[in-house]
Amino acid sequence: MAKETLTEAIAVAETEAALSKPKTSPLEWVAENGIFVFTGLLILASVLFVDGFASLVNITDVFHRAAPIGIVAVGMTFVVISGNYLDLSVVAQVATSAVILIAVSNEYGLPLAMLAALLAAAVFGIVNGVAVGYFKANAVIVTLATTYIGLGLLRYFSGGSIFFGPQDGLIREFGLGKLGPVPYSAIVLLIMTIILGFVLNRTNFGFLVRSFGVNESATRLSGTNTAAVVIGAFLVTALAAMVAGWVLAAFSNTAVSAMSQGYDFRALAAIIVGGTSVFGGKGSVLRTLVGVIFVSVLTNVLVLSGISFGYQQMALGALIVTAVTVDALSRKVAKR
Amino acid sequence: MSPQANLSGDVVIEARNIVKRFGGAVAVNNVSLSVRQGEIHALVGENGAGKSTLMRVLAGIIAQDSGDVLVDGTPLETGAKNSIAAGIALVHQELSLVPEMTVAENILLGYAPTRLGFTKSKELDAIAAEALKEIGVSVDLNERISRLSVALRQFVEIARAVARKPKVLILDEPTATLTPAETDYLLTMLQRLAERGMSIIYISHRIPEVIRICHNVTILRDGQKVMESAIADTSPEGIVDQMVGRELKLDLQSRRSANPGEVVLKAEGIRAPGVQGVDLEVRAGEIVGLGGLVGAGRTELVRAIIGADNRTAGRVTKFKDGKAYSLAGYQSAIRNGVAYVPEERRTDGLALGMSVSDNITLTNREELSSFGVQLRGKIAQFAQDLSEKVGLRPPEIRREAGQYSGGNQQKIVIAKWLGRRPDFIVLDEPTRGVDVGAKAEIHKLVKGLADQGTAVLVVSSDLPELLELSDTIHVIRDGKIAGTLIGHEANEKTVMSLAAGEKMVDA
Repeated sequence: MAKETLTEAIAVAETEAALSKPKTSPLEWVAENGIFVFTGLLILASVLFVDGFASLVNITDVFHRAAPIGIVAVGMTFVVISGNYLDLSVVAQVATSAVILIAVSNEYGLPLAMLAALLAAAVFGIVNGVAVGYFKANAVIVTLATTYIGLGLLRYFSGGSIFFGPQDGLIREFGLGKLGPVPYSAIVLLIMTIILGFVLNRTNFGFLVRSFGVNESATRLSGTNTAAVVIGAFLVTALAAMVAGWVLAAFSNTAVSAMSQGYDFRALAAIIVGGTSVFGGKGSVLRTLVGVIFVSVLTNVLVLSGISFGYQQMALGALIVTAVTVDALSRKVAKR
Repeated sequence: MSPQANLSGDVVIEARNIVKRFGGAVAVNNVSLSVRQGEIHALVGENGAGKSTLMRVLAGIIAQDSGDVLVDGTPLETGAKNSIAAGIALVHQELSLVPEMTVAENILLGYAPTRLGFTKSKELDAIAAEALKEIGVSVDLNERISRLSVALRQFVEIARAVARKPKVLILDEPTATLTPAETDYLLTMLQRLAERGMSIIYISHRIPEVIRICHNVTILRDGQKVMESAIADTSPEGIVDQMVGRELKLDLQSRRSANPGEVVLKAEGIRAPGVQGVDLEVRAGEIVGLGGLVGAGRTELVRAIIGADNRTAGRVTKFKDGKAYSLAGYQSAIRNGVAYVPEERRTDGLALGMSVSDNITLTNREELSSFGVQLRGKIAQFAQDLSEKVGLRPPEIRREAGQYSGGNQQKIVIAKWLGRRPDFIVLDEPTRGVDVGAKAEIHKLVKGLADQGTAVLVVSSDLPELLELSDTIHVIRDGKIAGTLIGHEANEKTVMSLAAGEKMVDA
């Protein structure tokens, strides 16, 4: 409440001044476009200076690792743009989808396994969406709780065991399949980005997600069913997490409830580094894709340089703090 | 330029050749201003003239690009803390109180007396009580701001400035949300403060207020000072002409000749928090006005009628093509041809960070899409047509709505509803904080809608506006209709006496 009133008070006097605002500050420019430049520079520097980066094997490996996180991230971009911060429960969603795919297909075949995973994803999306969109509960807390519920249920039903897929068949073929150096999983990421980019930019639903992120009240008072918009955003995230779970299960040909640890934070890192604002309303799935590339290449370079996991974690954390601060500062500058 | 009115006091605050640019735009261009002790100095100009920017420079919130601010002849370094220390207090146009804190806490917000980091609550109460006494307002110190009326919040805001015992008090549109009686009280209070030696800079669109209490007036247009004069040497028409830079006839009593048709909306027994059982009807082509004091329950009433807020009792029936529809929720009301221009344009009316086109088409998604996919060409044409229709200047649909002035923003809100061709439209304070020119245009739009057969329900605290627009006025008091005035029965006196009831209002 207080934040809104203050923002409001500040916003008022600015209108006069902002009436024509053709020039953007350097900070705003960095917040807007920096990631494209930085990603380009990072890749260039890695090719030139990091031993083993430009090898085919390594590039395929980067794609393999980037794909599932990227798929989660492009989906979760919807929740972030809607102004609902993030969906922490993607951790549980990816694992649930992977375990269901392997475990159920071992018993009942692939089509039924996919259907069961779809059902689970729908439940996640609807529960999160209804709690946040309809009952106006805080998204961070709700999805933290549904992570626990989801992982708890998964451990209960799986007994905590690891599931192994068969050595041949569709799942395995897909998991190992490549188009040149590019694994199928990365192609799935690209397709997801194109589809979700279209949904966000060109459809009514996507428009309403963005408009809800900019101003919830004005969107509601324009006659929009805002609860449905929020539920939709969480459903998109859930469907993407489901696909990510499939991709991950196919690649490793195993599934266990702990396999997607850290996906929440990594996906969020990609989204924020890409330049989608945590304040809602601003961003795109293309940005998230670039953010995923940046984060994945950076992680890979750190690994290749023999830097220990602890330092890698610190680097990722520092990166997020920087990105979020730039986002917040650029908002402040834009207001002045 | 005429000489200033004679005031014996010394110059307390002086701005010399202030220039402030935002990007390429010059918001304040070489403006000088000086105010003596005990003087009330009016600063007037249309929205976007640079008034608020200039005042923010004085208050140290933003830095000027060139020019000096002097307090008692000493140059002032930029910085809000320096300005406060020098005795400059700014009361913002929009309230900046913390709703969840008490009156006393808000008054002392930011400089509460502390010992070892703990608030000294007795001392805090004493200072707050004194500030309220100074402005002559009685309110419980421990009441939460969220429970106060808009008018009382405004007074608390002023008490907060006065508590710092400033030499210079700057008020930015303090009466925009007040009723005439409350305004009257505020103006008298300001005169009292000035008589005791405080210097006041008074920003307002309302010329009669300026004429009544101010000694001198400075008029800004497009960031430049176009006139400075003693109030005694000017006239309301002269001020308005200088503000808008063109001849503008204020035609405050031009009523339409109404020819109401069938009943379009019927509300019966409406109850909601702040609304205690109201029946009303609005006919096609009729403008029904809701008058009353701020806090009387007018906004709550219209929101309960259209379902924007829940009602606890009552029935709303909408008639269309001879059929009756019962309105339950807000979304069904909108689908049924209802439109709503809310009171808070910046938070409820517009998504300021989105383009004009996005805002205008937010209400018209189905029509502008095919199988859920947006039709871009159609959207652009639609938004362009509507923004021209409402007289948006400039009609650039790609611009962010937040870059426009208040009047233009309100036109965007109206445009987004016009696209739905509503047969019932609710406008809550349609011209609050809007400059004179845009106000006249908005009035013309509203009358035009009624002439085309739309049923219109208007809430307004601006009495001349209410009288000019309405065919019928219901005066609301304490959540009920205190009386209904039809056509020429309505004038400032009849409306106000109904609004205030027997007992006189004390602010």
